[in-house]
Amino acid sequence: MSLHMLKTGLLGAALAVAAGPALAQTKVTNQGISDKEIVIGTHQDLSGPIKAWGVPVLNGMKLAVEEINAKGGIHGRLLKLIAEDSAYEPRKAVLATQKMVERDKIFAMIGPMGSPTVIAAQDILFEAGILQLFPLTAAEFTYKFDPAKPQERLKFNNLLPYVESTRAAVKFMIEHKKIQKPCVMYQDDEYGKNVFDGFTQQTQAMNLKPTSVTTFKRGASDFSAQAAKMKADGCDLVVLGAVIREPIGVMAEAKKIGFEPTWLGASPVCVIEIPALGKGVVEGLYSACGFEIPYRDTAKGKVKEWAEAYFKAYNTEPNSQAVIGHNTITTFAHYVEKAGKDLTGAKLLAALESGDVFQDIFNSPPTKFSATNHLASTITQVSVIENGRWKEVKAGLSF
Amino acid sequence: MRFIFKTDYEQDIKLLQHGGHWWSYGLLFAVLAAAPYLVGSYLQSQLVFVFIYAIVGVALMILVGFTGQGSIGHAAFLAIGAYTAAYLQARGYPFEVYFPAAGILTGIVGAIVGIPALRLHGIYLLIATISFAFIVEEVLARWESVTHGNEGMRVRAIEFFGQTVSRDSNSFYFLCLGILVLVIIGTLNLMRSPTGRAFIAIRDSETAAKSMGVDIGRYKVRSFAISAAITGLAGTLYAHKMSFISPEMFTLLLSIEFIMVIIIGGAFGLHGAILGAIFIVMVDPLITMLKDDVPGMIAAFSRGFGVGEDAARAIQDRLYAIFSAPGLKGAIYGLIIILFVLFEPLGLYGRWLKIKLYFQLFPLYKRATFRRQKTYVKSERNR
Repeated sequence: MSLHMLKTGLLGAALAVAAGPALAQTKVTNQGISDKEIVIGTHQDLSGPIKAWGVPVLNGMKLAVEEINAKGGIHGRLLKLIAEDSAYEPRKAVLATQKMVERDKIFAMIGPMGSPTVIAAQDILFEAGILQLFPLTAAEFTYKFDPAKPQERLKFNNLLPYVESTRAAVKFMIEHKKIQKPCVMYQDDEYGKNVFDGFTQQTQAMNLKPTSVTTFKRGASDFSAQAAKMKADGCDLVVLGAVIREPIGVMAEAKKIGFEPTWLGASPVCVIEIPALGKGVVEGLYSACGFEIPYRDTAKGKVKEWAEAYFKAYNTEPNSQAVIGHNTITTFAHYVEKAGKDLTGAKLLAALESGDVFQDIFNSPPTKFSATNHLASTITQVSVIENGRWKEVKAGLSF
Repeated sequence: MRFIFKTDYEQDIKLLQHGGHWWSYGLLFAVLAAAPYLVGSYLQSQLVFVFIYAIVGVALMILVGFTGQGSIGHAAFLAIGAYTAAYLQARGYPFEVYFPAAGILTGIVGAIVGIPALRLHGIYLLIATISFAFIVEEVLARWESVTHGNEGMRVRAIEFFGQTVSRDSNSFYFLCLGILVLVIIGTLNLMRSPTGRAFIAIRDSETAAKSMGVDIGRYKVRSFAISAAITGLAGTLYAHKMSFISPEMFTLLLSIEFIMVIIIGGAFGLHGAILGAIFIVMVDPLITMLKDDVPGMIAAFSRGFGVGEDAARAIQDRLYAIFSAPGLKGAIYGLIIILFVLFEPLGLYGRWLKIKLYFQLFPLYKRATFRRQKTYVKSERNR
C-alpha cells in the first residue's frame, strides 16, 4: 500500500466517522410523495421590491414542471408545484412556508427567493425534515452547514456565490485589462456587502489598493456624486455591486462627465434587462455570469426549443432569471430520478450527496455535491455587452 | 338593551363594566388558551403574529388614538427592541434581563424623539418620525460592530428561567399571549389614571388641556416613551419569532403597516388595535386559502349542475390560474383598505359598535344615528 493510498484511506475513514453519526440522525420527510405525484413548494417575491426576479423565476420553474410532466414525470410521478407570494417579507415567507409544510404537505422546498425570507423560514423546513434546495440567494447560510447539526444537511445551493464569483471575475479583469486602480461601488445591503468583500479580498491578494469605494441605497437614481468621485480618484476599473437600474444610471452619468473606465458587474448584473433598457449606454459593460445568456434567435438545440417554449407560454423573451428557475427544477428532477423508483427523502439526500454530476442545457459549470460540500460550483464566466447583447468573454474562471 | 344602574363612583372605572363582559372575555380567553392544542403550527404562527402586531397596535393606540400624536416611525422602535434583544442575547444575557432592557432602552429613545415632537403638529410631526425611522435604519446598517450591518443577526431561541422556548412551541404562543394581556391591562389602567386622562385631554384640545393645568410637554414626551417602550417589548418577541433580523426588515413599509393596524381596526379604542392586527396578519393567509380552495369548490358546484368532468376540471384550472396571478393578492388587499377608509373611517371596531347598537335598539334604530356632525371634542363621540 502506498503512502498516498494510506492517506486517502485514513482520510476516508475519518470522514466516515465524522459523517456517520450525522448521517444516521438527519431526519428526512417522505411526505408529499405518492405513487402518482411529488408535491414541491416554493415562495417567490411576486408583488414586492424584487418581483422582476420572482415572476420570471417562477415562470421558468412552471415551464420546467410542465415539460417534465409532459414526458410522464419522474419514474411515473408527476410534479405538483405549489407557489406562494412572500412579497420579500420575512413574515409572509414564514407563514407561507408553514402553510406549505402543513397544508400542502410538500416534499421539498425548491428555489425560495431572497436572503431575509429564506433565512427566517429555513428552520421550519429543517425541523420538518424537508429539503431546502437551490434557494435564490447565494448567501453562505444556504449551503454552509455545521456537521454537528444533522438537520442542516438538508440545505443545498446551486447558485454562484457572490464573494467567490466576484473574486474570480475581478482577478480575470485585472489580468486581462492590466488594471492599476480598481474601484468598487456597491448597494447598501447584504448582497452589496458580499460583492465588496469579494472585491477587497481579491485586490488584497493581488497586492492592489482599492482606489475608491462608494455606496448607494437600493433604488437610488442619482449617481452624479459617485461618478464624480470615482473620476477624481482616477479609477480604471469599477466593480458594480448593483442590480438592474443602477449600472445603467451610473454609466450614463459617467459618460456625461467623460469618465470611461472598464465596468464590471457582479453576477446579478448579468441579465438581459440591462442591455435592453440601457441601450448604447451600457455597451462594453463586463459582468460575472453563471452561464451564457440564451437568446431566442441565436440559440441552438435544446436551448432554442426551451426559449421558444418560454416565449410561447409567457409572451416575453426568456431571461437569466427564467434560466435559474428552470435549473432549480431540472436539477431537482435529475437527483430524484437518480434516487430511484421507491423514492424517499433519505434516498434523495443520498443521491444529492453521491457526487453524481448534473449538466444543464445552458452550458453552466457542472453541478456536483458531496457529503461535506453542498454548494454546486464556484466556476464563473465573464461576459460583455456587445451590440446590445451579452457575449461570453471567458469561461471556467476561478481565483 | 342593557342599562347599567350605577350605585357607586367606583363603577365608572371598572375594567369589566357588567356580567356580560365576564362571559365574552372569559370565552375569548378560553378559546385562545385551547387554540394551540387544537390548531396546527400554521394557524398558531398567524396567531403569534397577531399578538405581536396587537402589542404594537396598543402602543400606537396610546400615542395616536389617545394622545393624538402621529407616528410613522414605529418600525424603528420595533427595530431598537429587536436589536437590543439580539445584542444582549449574543452576549449571554437571559430573556429575563434583555426583555425589560429592550423596553427601557426603547422607552428612553422614544422620550428623546418625543422632545422635538413638542413643537411639531400634524403632518410635520409625521415627517419628523419618518426621518427618525430613516436615521435608525441607517444606524443599524452602519454600526457593524453592534448590529452586524446588512448581514443581519441570527436570534436564538429564548432561554427563559433555564427553559428553551422555541419560536414554534406552545410556550412561545403563551408567552406572547401573556405579554399582550399584560400590555392591554396595563394600558387600560393607564388610561383611567390621571396620566391617561391627560393624554385624552391633549388629543381633544391642547389649549383646553393647558388651561386645565395639564403640562403638555411632559405628557407628550411620556406618551412617546410609553408607546416606544411597549413597541420595544414587541420587538423582542418579533426578533425571536423571525429568528433573524436585518435592517431591511424594519422599513417605512412596516411602519405604515402598523399605522394601518389602528386605522383599519378603529383608532379610538384598544379593541381597534386587536381587530386591526387580526385583519393585517390574517387577510393574506385567508386570500391564499381562498385561492387554493375556491376553484375546487366552484368545480364541484358546477359538477352538481351537470357540467361534465373535463369541463369542471378546465374551470378549476382556469380559476386557479386567475387566482394565482402575481399581484392579485396585493390588489385585493389594497381594495379592502380603500373601501374601509372610504366607507368606514371608524374601522372594524366602529362597524362592530354600529352593528351591536342596531340590534340593541331594534326596531327603533335610527339611520341617522352615526351621521357625521360637527363636534368639538372627539372623546364625546365614541364613548
